[in-house]
Amino acid sequence: MTDATLSRILYVEDDADIREVVRMSLQTLGKFEVAACDSCAAALELVDEFNPELLLLDVMMPDVDGPTTLRKLRERASAVGAPAIFITAKVQAGDMARYRNMGVLDVIVKPFDPMLLSSRVEQIWRGNRSKSNDDVG
Amino acid sequence: MKKQERHNLEYLAAWLLILAFFAWTVNLLLNVQSDWAQSNEVTRIDQDVHALVNPWRNLNRPGNDVLENYAVESQAVALERYLAEYAAARASLEPHRTATVPMTDFFAGMDEAAATAEALASRVLQLAADRENLRRSGATPNSIRLVETEAATTMARMDQTFQNGLDLIVGMDERLDGRLLALVASRRASIGSLYLILLVALLSSVASLVLLRRTAKQGAALRSGAERINAIVNNVVDGIITVDDAGTVESFNRTAEEIFGYDAAGIVGRPFIELIDPESSAQNDETALGHGESEHLARRQDGSTFPMELAATRVRVDGRALLVYIVRDIAERKQAEERLQLAAKVFESTTEGIMITDSDGDIQSTNPAFTAITGYTADEVIGRNPRILQSGVQSAEFYESMWQSITGTGHWQGEIQNRRKNGEIYPQWLNINAIKNARGQITSYVGVTFDISELKASERLKDEFIATVSHELRTPLTSIHGSLRLLEGGVAGELSDDAAKLIKIAQDNSQRLVRLIDDILSIAKIESERMQFHLQPVVIDDLVARAIEANHDFATQYGVSLQAESGVPEARVLADRDRLMQVLTNLLSNAVKHSPRDGVVRVGVRRHDEFWRVDVVDNGLGVPESFRDNVFSKFAQADGSDRRKGGGTGLGLSICKAIIDRLGGRIGFDSEAGVRTSFHFDLPVMQRQAIADVVSA
Repeated sequence: MTDATLSRILYVEDDADIREVVRMSLQTLGKFEVAACDSCAAALELVDEFNPELLLLDVMMPDVDGPTTLRKLRERASAVGAPAIFITAKVQAGDMARYRNMGVLDVIVKPFDPMLLSSRVEQIWRGNRSKSNDDVG
Repeated sequence: MKKQERHNLEYLAAWLLILAFFAWTVNLLLNVQSDWAQSNEVTRIDQDVHALVNPWRNLNRPGNDVLENYAVESQAVALERYLAEYAAARASLEPHRTATVPMTDFFAGMDEAAATAEALASRVLQLAADRENLRRSGATPNSIRLVETEAATTMARMDQTFQNGLDLIVGMDERLDGRLLALVASRRASIGSLYLILLVALLSSVASLVLLRRTAKQGAALRSGAERINAIVNNVVDGIITVDDAGTVESFNRTAEEIFGYDAAGIVGRPFIELIDPESSAQNDETALGHGESEHLARRQDGSTFPMELAATRVRVDGRALLVYIVRDIAERKQAEERLQLAAKVFESTTEGIMITDSDGDIQSTNPAFTAITGYTADEVIGRNPRILQSGVQSAEFYESMWQSITGTGHWQGEIQNRRKNGEIYPQWLNINAIKNARGQITSYVGVTFDISELKASERLKDEFIATVSHELRTPLTSIHGSLRLLEGGVAGELSDDAAKLIKIAQDNSQRLVRLIDDILSIAKIESERMQFHLQPVVIDDLVARAIEANHDFATQYGVSLQAESGVPEARVLADRDRLMQVLTNLLSNAVKHSPRDGVVRVGVRRHDEFWRVDVVDNGLGVPESFRDNVFSKFAQADGSDRRKGGGTGLGLSICKAIIDRLGGRIGFDSEAGVRTSFHFDLPVMQRQAIADVVSA
């Protein structure tokens, strides 16, 4: 499994501009297959068909926020074990620790450098995989 | 009658009595002396008179035979004897003729008797001669008989005369004896009187001595009493002033002198009203000064005024009416009263709830703000335990540690959730202090509290606002910055040189905006103390090494090298590692930006009193004189051009200062243009025990 590559990322972000920048960065530079949704509801519609390998979620969203979206997505068999990364502008003291406790691999803080985003995401994902394998092995 | 007058009369009477006694005594002595002299004289006269009595009484007087027998010869002998007796009596009594004893009648009688006797005697002698002549002439017996009869009759008269003399002498003797007896009696009486006087004198002396002694005692008592009263009057804490009917000061004790600044001599004899401030109402209403207790504005000799309490008492001394004033400077008491009133007003009007309990914790008193916060009126809680306010939110351990703190340090403060009367639970800030008496025993506890519900709500709002601002500003910036980066990175195709240049400008400025937002938010959080600091022991050497490593690339861009001076491995401080890193990074980037190309920035650590000092030193242009006061101010930059050149926000040093302040340290600089500029911060040296505490916590 160590040679496996990340390909399918489910991305949920309510801001269309950021969504576009992120989508372009991940698709163009990272060559990932990205399903970009504007809400939890849209993600839930897509998730089973898309079968994501990584969830990339904005935290502060109207209606349903990132942590809730994560919980709901993981209720689906298609995403039950999918690793997740939060991408947020809302980082207050203590937030990081709280997010990690929710079962996300890491938090990427906005604004981020879209030129480096893909490699960062892949790095986090790989780090998690190798750790998981170590745990298994 | 007045006491004094009566006393004077008694005095006069006593003197008259003494004088009368004296006169009597003198008179008695004179009497005794004259009686003595008289009785001596009378005794002498009496002896002389008495010496005559027996010879005269026993004298062999011529009897009838002498007369009847006409024995002229024997008659002549008797005559001679009679005359001799008279002569002897008169001779022996002659010296007494001038005696003071009244004997005139006696001597007159004796003289007359003697004269009669001599005349009779010479008649008898004549008749005797006549008879002889008749007998010789042989006259008739009748004629002789006639002469003899006359001679006998004369002789009888002569004897009668002698008998009269004897009566005189015996009478005189008796009179003298009586006189002598009277004199002795008188002398006895006088001597008796003298004894009496002596006795009276003796008794008087004893009585006088006793009286004198008592008087002396009383005098001494009076004197010491007066001295004692003086001492008391002069040493009481109150001023005592006596004033006569006319309102003139009569006496002024020592305390009054201190209170008013007068010497007693300077005010005695002057009107009491001078001691009252001219502005005082008592100036117009002097009767206000003469009754009971009152308060006035008094005036000292130097003209300054003070509030005075006056207690007036009317007394009579030696029949004179006096006003005794007890005066007290009540300025301090007034101030204390005012302070108390102020404290009471604060207690009543403050918006902080105040609850006072006794040492058992039972509520004694609460203020209106307490009622406003808790909903309980004072009547509802007095006598009850503050436990009624407990909400159940805090654990038993919480209250236990609160009580440990109060009983240990006498103090506790903190946030606590309580329950209002209506059941609502509210957050409050509570400050409890133990109040101790002079012996150090806790007498009461004072709890000061304020409802922080609104504060909490506004804090939440502020937090939300910061979060919202942070989010709302970052979101558009994220897409701007991201788009520019993708453009710049050629994701959207190749760019012309000009386009690339313009995109670079937009890119730099969007980055600056991001930094500005970061800095503003972080300084807001530090200053509002809502940024949490995770304190832990930090080894400064490690931190410096990491900061140098992290800023290496940045420094290289400026052609500047970073160097750590020889390390001090034991240098440790208690700090939030990330925040301290932020400080060091800020100082390093500032130093780099202000260094000349090929410059060197050195970081040193050394001991500075009870602090570890971290120095970041460069050899740049330094801090301009005009800017030195504002180095740590927000948005302060020495030169506007720095902003473009360095891309700084002007908040870096104020953030550093806010962080170092929060860590209990100090930040500073010294600068010599072109030679050496040093920015440094000092943090307290961490003690081994503190490290252990933190690590175990």
